[in-house]
Amino acid sequence: MNRRIAIRDLTIALGGLVSIPAWASNGWNANSLKTSYGFFETSEQQMLELIVGTIIPESDTKGAKSLGVPAFLEKMLQDCYEKPVAENVKNGLASTDAIAQKQFGKSFANCETAQKHQILLGFEKSDNTQLKDFYSLVKNLTILGYTTSEYVQTEFLNYNMAPGHYYGCVPVKK
Amino acid sequence: MANLAIDIKKQNTYDAIVIGSGISGGWAAKELCEKGLKTIVLERGHDIKHITDYPTAMKNPWDFEHRGQVPLDVRSQYPKGRAAFLREETLPFALKDGIQPFVEEKPFTWTRGYHVGGKSLMWARQTQRWSDLDFEGPKRDGFAVDWPIRYADIAPWYSHVEKFAGISGNKDGLQELPDGEFLTPIELNCVEQHLKQVLAKEYNNKRHVVQGRCAHVTDPQPIHLKQGRAKCQHRNLCNRGCPYGGYFSSNASTLPWAAKTGKMTLRPFSTVHSIIFDEKLNKATGVRVVDTNTKEMIEYYARIIFVNGSALNSNLILLNSISNRFPNGLGNDSGFLGKFISWHNYRGKISAEYDGFLDKMTDGKNPSNGYVPRFRNLHSQETDFLRGYAAGIGAGRGSWSSREGIGEDLKNSLLHPKLNNQWNVSSWMMGECVPIEKNHVRLHENLKDPYGIPQLVTSAEWTDNDVKMVQDYIEQFTEMFTKAGFKNIKASDSKSNPGADIHEMGGVRMGNDPKTSLLNKWNALHLCKNVFVTDGACMTSTGTQNPSLTYMALTARAANYAVGEMKKKNL
Repeated sequence: MNRRIAIRDLTIALGGLVSIPAWASNGWNANSLKTSYGFFETSEQQMLELIVGTIIPESDTKGAKSLGVPAFLEKMLQDCYEKPVAENVKNGLASTDAIAQKQFGKSFANCETAQKHQILLGFEKSDNTQLKDFYSLVKNLTILGYTTSEYVQTEFLNYNMAPGHYYGCVPVKK
Repeated sequence: MANLAIDIKKQNTYDAIVIGSGISGGWAAKELCEKGLKTIVLERGHDIKHITDYPTAMKNPWDFEHRGQVPLDVRSQYPKGRAAFLREETLPFALKDGIQPFVEEKPFTWTRGYHVGGKSLMWARQTQRWSDLDFEGPKRDGFAVDWPIRYADIAPWYSHVEKFAGISGNKDGLQELPDGEFLTPIELNCVEQHLKQVLAKEYNNKRHVVQGRCAHVTDPQPIHLKQGRAKCQHRNLCNRGCPYGGYFSSNASTLPWAAKTGKMTLRPFSTVHSIIFDEKLNKATGVRVVDTNTKEMIEYYARIIFVNGSALNSNLILLNSISNRFPNGLGNDSGFLGKFISWHNYRGKISAEYDGFLDKMTDGKNPSNGYVPRFRNLHSQETDFLRGYAAGIGAGRGSWSSREGIGEDLKNSLLHPKLNNQWNVSSWMMGECVPIEKNHVRLHENLKDPYGIPQLVTSAEWTDNDVKMVQDYIEQFTEMFTKAGFKNIKASDSKSNPGADIHEMGGVRMGNDPKTSLLNKWNALHLCKNVFVTDGACMTSTGTQNPSLTYMALTARAANYAVGEMKKKNL
């Protein structure tokens, strides 16, 4: 259920006994996602979009890129992580092309999907802890941003803010 | 000048002062205002108005800029040790660093709620009654001092607060967990029911699983609607503040009720420094307050004072209330003020899996949990440790998504979580800690907080009795889980700090004898009868039950007694 309906139901539940606070009437559209916060250089941002789009691609359902996950990652790295961690992500983004060149003789952007997978899965198993940490953080944040998006929550994960209920023992839906 | 001083004194004079606006302070305010007393409620933190000041209450996961994680620059304003608990969702209720430093002589976790409503906005909302098996504990087992009250003294007050607060639960007919005034219960799920049946059969009907009684309005009665509260929506977002008033808090319930009488003045940003004692009158006449914004010291006066600052702060205020008559703290001729600090033993945890009921699942969210009332040493001593433990218990089916791989496969897995192939069961112990004199709080000789108030020194540690109890919990629950057919049983001792349970109690204990206790059976100081302490500080022993309901009942009882005594001109 979206926020507007949830707040309407809140008003009904309370029978108009209280006035609706400011936080309920402002800031309806939380989806006005920025595309960039200026934390990354353009080239870094492009590489981040490629990697995020490879981890959770677009298909007949929306992927991470169209849900604004790259900008979410940028926001998180800028605000929530210590500088060395964010720097390591920048270094990882810069290394990705070099590794693609070395493995497949072309830029990461020009690699086939299978080649991109091979490169990123290689990071996951790499002995190079910097590369491994870089990919692990980018992947985890991508999953976090994707699975908490309004689209995934409401279309796939049965998100429902209110009203709710609890039944302790119901048959499993086939 | 003289007239001005008289005017200010008049302006700052009330019938009653309530120190603290948390779960017990809210009840003091409600009862006193309802009885017509002009009451000032002093709260050291900022105001939190019901609904208006719950900014995260209706936010969806995607509305949080950092999806709950707190940015570094904000995080740096909070104590380092608490960083792991900070979330964007509950940040409005977190305590910033430096507000009230204290000295941990031995490691102690002190969780505080410094805002209007206190911890009533952060509590687990479990509300179990005490029985005489708890009140008689110290006398039977020879520790602390005898409680000056029994179940019969408090039972009508449990009913009084339950009806108003709204408590859901089953009437289970157990002597050790008396029934109350209950709203529709939340149901136990298939696995919790299964455990209930197994325990009844395997232990001769002496061990029970019941639904935890909890302060959720499952079917609002006229008294709840009158408070502006609605049915619990099972959102399980309680710790953000509930705009429905679905669970009980001072903010949703007692404080607005008190305000409606027109008798209440609520003063946030007011840290109480000490209580003023008048030697000629032989009673307290008011309190000294530091305005936390201006650091100005202001005095308020009243005929009675309710001390509800949360257990350790109530100790601190009394210890700091020094006069010629009471050089060791108000009412402290006995020397026991600040001693016999106790808490609950939450160290033992156990988890398991169950592969029955695979054709069943739960639907929706459960704001409560199952509850195993104390079964150890209930009627006589059976083990090599004193007292016993209750336990919380919860089972759930849950679902999961593989996070392995990349691309379409990963995406499909994330979009289509699978129901787990087993139920997960977990339990946590809630043990009675036996209070000992050595566990205490006191004022630091020279360190002060930012308001010029001496810092509190906490000196408390676990005893052998506690350690043995953890071991017994682990053994007994492993056995019970095994009998229930649970698998992959994992038990552990968290060895958490004292206080981590957030149930710190004692220091200003109740008792019959002024030589060994601070408070009489009405929660008034034996030696200063117009000062009442009705929060966790008054607890002579700790029981195993979540204590808030008992604080509420003791507060309502004491407040009504105080009003009666005022009418009789005894106060």
